[in-house]
Amino acid sequence: MDASITRIIPLMVLAALAAGCGPGRVVGPVADAAAAATLRTALLSSEAGKAATESAPVGTGWATLKGRFLFAGTPVERTVLVVDKDMEFCSPHGMKLYDQSLRIDPSTKGLADVVLFLRKSTRVKEASPPSEPLVFDQKNCEFITPVFASRVGQPVDVRNSDMTGHNTNIATTPFNQSIPAQGSAIYKPASETGMPISVTCNIHPWMKAYAVFRKDGYVAVSSVDGSFELPDLPAGEPLEFQVWHPRAAAGLKLDRPDLKWNPKGRFQITLEPDVLKDIGTLEVPAAALSGS
Amino acid sequence: MMQARSLLSVVPVVAMVLAMAGCGPTPPASFRLNMVEAVSPTAEKDSVASDQELTPEQQKQVATILLAMFGTPDEPVCLPEAGLDPAKLRLAAGPVRSDIVGRKNGLFREHCVHCHGITGDGLGPTAAFLNPYPRDYRPGIFKFKSTERADKPTHPDLVRVLNNGIPGTSMPSFALLSPIEVVALVEYVKYLSIRGETELALMRQFFELDEEDKGRLSETREFLIAEVLEPIAAKWTTAADAVIEVPAMPANLDLAASIEKGRELFYGDKANCVKCHGVTSLGDGQANDYDDWSKNIVKIDTKLDGIATGDADAKERQWAAEFRQVLAGDALKPRTIPPRNLRQGIYRGGRRPVDLYYRIHAGINGAPMPAAKGTVAPEDIWHIINYVRSLPYGLDGELGADRSVAVRPASAPGLASREEK
Repeated sequence: MDASITRIIPLMVLAALAAGCGPGRVVGPVADAAAAATLRTALLSSEAGKAATESAPVGTGWATLKGRFLFAGTPVERTVLVVDKDMEFCSPHGMKLYDQSLRIDPSTKGLADVVLFLRKSTRVKEASPPSEPLVFDQKNCEFITPVFASRVGQPVDVRNSDMTGHNTNIATTPFNQSIPAQGSAIYKPASETGMPISVTCNIHPWMKAYAVFRKDGYVAVSSVDGSFELPDLPAGEPLEFQVWHPRAAAGLKLDRPDLKWNPKGRFQITLEPDVLKDIGTLEVPAAALSGS
Repeated sequence: MMQARSLLSVVPVVAMVLAMAGCGPTPPASFRLNMVEAVSPTAEKDSVASDQELTPEQQKQVATILLAMFGTPDEPVCLPEAGLDPAKLRLAAGPVRSDIVGRKNGLFREHCVHCHGITGDGLGPTAAFLNPYPRDYRPGIFKFKSTERADKPTHPDLVRVLNNGIPGTSMPSFALLSPIEVVALVEYVKYLSIRGETELALMRQFFELDEEDKGRLSETREFLIAEVLEPIAAKWTTAADAVIEVPAMPANLDLAASIEKGRELFYGDKANCVKCHGVTSLGDGQANDYDDWSKNIVKIDTKLDGIATGDADAKERQWAAEFRQVLAGDALKPRTIPPRNLRQGIYRGGRRPVDLYYRIHAGINGAPMPAAKGTVAPEDIWHIINYVRSLPYGLDGELGADRSVAVRPASAPGLASREEK
């Protein structure tokens, strides 16, 4: 009896030792102490590199960019969303709600909801944002515009055309407001988003849309037929556009070497003044839209 | 036989000595890199993708910049632009010790670290056992405060949380500490939060780089101080300007009528409290939502599940498996956030009427609770407060009377047996 216990003890000791240090957390790289000390000295000296580098304007005149996104694949049927609350308003007469993250025009295969925005420029045509509000509405517990773009400073009129209350929660912004039935609230975005951010209703968790706010207002969302048009772009300077889609949230990657399309979903183009530049059809393969 | 027994009695001691030696000498305390963010440096976690992960060199650059700007847990650094008081930080930072005049130093490690973690990531050794989890300061989101939704708490807001604790949670009161000690801890929480937000900002900047940047962030004052640190620090210094103006409760109020008006608003379409707090106000309405901290983990988890079950290639699956390992060490199991049970009379953000006003007016940052400002008039907010404050009391005026009994089916198990007793 005792002998068998003594035989087990080494095993127990080993087990205790192995458990003692706990499962390791994945440890990231360690800071470079010498480089950090040098950098700290530089950051503490108030002189170094203080001059603001306001980039000088490049080029003159303005131009328009247009094009069209087409889905190059077999459209799959949209998923029916699970609607389990406020059925009389959200599912009147058994109406179904569909996943809005991939909207393809059945006749033309136009791809809606592709966002394009200019990363930076040295000039902006319209100095101030429009004062008239952009309407962002919801009806039958669904956001009417699944992707919307607005300029920083332009008021967004968040409406509720339903007979039931919603709350509209714009991620990473201060806005999460209860919107009464048939009511509305104004949100004035104060800062720029990077990639579009999600808009949700916590009361009806299936509701989802995306918003993008840009300081210069150079942002377009492709319409139901997949087309987009961006007017008043600065001509004569190299422009870089970021392209995004709800299913390509890390950037829409296309194989278009002619536009220097890169793996971050950006392309480059320089426009000539007073020209309406049509970059034609941009075919989006199904594989490029495999993300969430 | 005797020999075997005496050997047995020695074994546990030997094992303990070995176990203690096994983990080696304790290295000096260090901040942990935000590894979840290093793998998925995006604001929207459902856009997580393998090609966004920061390379080891990029992670090292972030660690180095943070060391330069904020120092270590034993020797915090604060650049003047951070707007923090170094003397207060020294009192709170470092190992627990007494200085030459016998004043206690290392307060954060004495009082806070076992829940909030050395990095302020809410991942201290006790964290996993608590419900709700301790706050992760790094995103810079705080719930219980007197300011508008997205604004930082004021200094008195944080002092109040430390003095009162947070009822209904594991956060105790630190009212027994001296005011100087409380203030030092508040300063240290701000320091960890500013450091954490700076880390997030740095990691998210990599995606914004141009090709000529060659995958490295700029280390100029202009970028690190003016573009990254100052906007984060400014939100703390301007918090006092963002305090919500609370109009006085209407004078000569008929309390019974006000409670009745509040009840109508509670159930009505305008304030819509009922949708989440439930028809019984037990917090049983919308109960399957997450707070912002957990929601990010849920989104990542869904994404990784999709990779595991979808037709992703071997490389992508390997990445997902490695990310799961990071999550296992750096994230707590997400929990849904139940809307508050308003029948208990426990208010986490404080029980003063003005605290309830702040909560209803601005909503709760980081939580699904939306703001009522703009759509519900101030006097209506007061009616809702009066109604909510009447909820914990039964019709006979006794605290704790559970009116939900009335809406449970008579045949509910448990109810009958309770009555029989």
